[in-house]
Amino acid sequence: MEPAVEIQNLTKVFRPQMGGRPVKAVDQVSITIAPGEVYGLIGPNGSGKSTTMKALLGLVAPSSGTCRIFGADSLAVDSRQDVGFLPENPYFYKHLTGAETLAFYGKLCGLRGQSLKDRTTELLELVGLTEARDRHLGGYSKGMLQRIGLAQALIQEPRLAILDEPTAGVDPIGSRQIRDLILSLKERGITVFLCSHLLEQVQEVCDRVGIIFRGRMIREGRLDDLLAIEDQTEIILRDAPPDLLEEIAALVAARQGAELIRSGRPRTTLERLFLRETVERENP
Amino acid sequence: MSAAPTAYRPLNPRRILVLARHTFTQLVRMKVFYFLAVFAVVVIGANFLELPTDHLPENAGTEILYTVKNTSLGCMSIFSLVLAIVATGLLLPKDVEDRTLYTILAKPVPRLDYLIGKWLGVVALIFVSLMAMTLLMNLVLIPHTSKVMQLQISAAEFAGASAETKAKIAEDVRALGPTWNLQAAVLVTFMRAMVLAAVALLLSTFSTSTLFTAIVGFLILFIGFFQADAREIYFGKDSGLAGKAASGIMTVILPDLQVYNLIDAIVEGKFLKAFDLLKVIGITAFYCVTYLFASWLVFARKEF
Repeated sequence: MEPAVEIQNLTKVFRPQMGGRPVKAVDQVSITIAPGEVYGLIGPNGSGKSTTMKALLGLVAPSSGTCRIFGADSLAVDSRQDVGFLPENPYFYKHLTGAETLAFYGKLCGLRGQSLKDRTTELLELVGLTEARDRHLGGYSKGMLQRIGLAQALIQEPRLAILDEPTAGVDPIGSRQIRDLILSLKERGITVFLCSHLLEQVQEVCDRVGIIFRGRMIREGRLDDLLAIEDQTEIILRDAPPDLLEEIAALVAARQGAELIRSGRPRTTLERLFLRETVERENP
Repeated sequence: MSAAPTAYRPLNPRRILVLARHTFTQLVRMKVFYFLAVFAVVVIGANFLELPTDHLPENAGTEILYTVKNTSLGCMSIFSLVLAIVATGLLLPKDVEDRTLYTILAKPVPRLDYLIGKWLGVVALIFVSLMAMTLLMNLVLIPHTSKVMQLQISAAEFAGASAETKAKIAEDVRALGPTWNLQAAVLVTFMRAMVLAAVALLLSTFSTSTLFTAIVGFLILFIGFFQADAREIYFGKDSGLAGKAASGIMTVILPDLQVYNLIDAIVEGKFLKAFDLLKVIGITAFYCVTYLFASWLVFARKEF
């Protein structure tokens, strides 16, 4: 099967216009993403995540290496019919309403008439902005802007969605909504390539991740494989009495070579606690 | 979603139209048309102004026609040139700063179409504004022209002029009113703004701020008004082949705006020859295509 994304030995060197030392933003990075996969690219600020994404979108030209989207060279305009892109902190045109924004981007992709209207309505519903469809984007909150951004990225029904920090600056509720949207894209068979600082969120939605540092890919693989600690085993019990726990501890102690590292109550995350106390309380 | 491969080729009229309409809407919602209210006040105010002219009997009442035409065309020139430079210079850096450019270029939109769409949007706005101003100018001129004609014909009758003389007077006064010639002057004003918008577009492809584009744009505008004289001084008729080549290159790099000076002659009531108008149309087309092509050469290689 043809990969959705195929980046081979991508290197990008920025040469300052006024002289100075060239900066190697991306160094020999290779990424292959299968159709329908959710891939997360993580790394600290300035590690080359956004440059990699921009190279894939043809916004910057690779110094060496190639980027292909479903087999098409990403520098060719036709490769973008299959791509939807949400940039980091998008602003969009404040003078347009939500519906007008989607109509504008839809028309750029060749959509017209009733099919465009239907698609606009469908996407506004998908991102939960039906009631705000006729409001100008100048009055949208940060989370709403991210969601309309996601909707515009999907307007032409692309097979690949590229999301650069999709939850940057969004509150936990908005962040969770975007996470759910990404999962719904996955259910629809859309390939997702995202980069984020929120590692927990990446962990929740991604099938595979790559860790990029100082322009180089330092680890890559299936999330389960990367996170599993090879020499440890986890047992989670419900309603276990103290004597049972003591028995288990004694059993482990009796077996040479095995060691009980920790036992206690598993913790929820602060994000889950926040959502339970806010959204779930509002909608019991 | 599948589409015909031709849809991704540059110069797709539908896509360019979408971008142009969007740019037009964007500028309209920036309340650019408020300027029209200022124009209306100026033109209506011009009714009460009297420019100094010779007070010969045959010129009786014509001052107001000159005043209205001069004021209107002056306002049109200022508005169209300022809008061409500032609005065009504003659009590209704003799209980069707001990252809206990323979302547009991430769609199947060739960069040439984006540039032409932006330019056409500004040009359409200038066209609509000039049309509104022309309409107002004509509405003010029509009653004044018939008033002046009546005044002069009455004076001629009083002096016992022949029917032939009266017909000549009527023709002369009509030539100072809302003639097709005057509408051609507006067209020439519009074409000059088209060229300046193309220059501003080229500047904004490599500048990162509206201020830089505006300053350099106005500098080019200023040079454009005087460059034909400068060429004459530096590369006169006896300058040889090298001088002529240098003069030609200068004309291409910096637009020669003296070509558009025939607006002043039209205001004076002189007849614009079809050949002169066609020449201006040809020069405008040459400048616009050249500057748009140069813009594309820079923009196609630009990284974001």
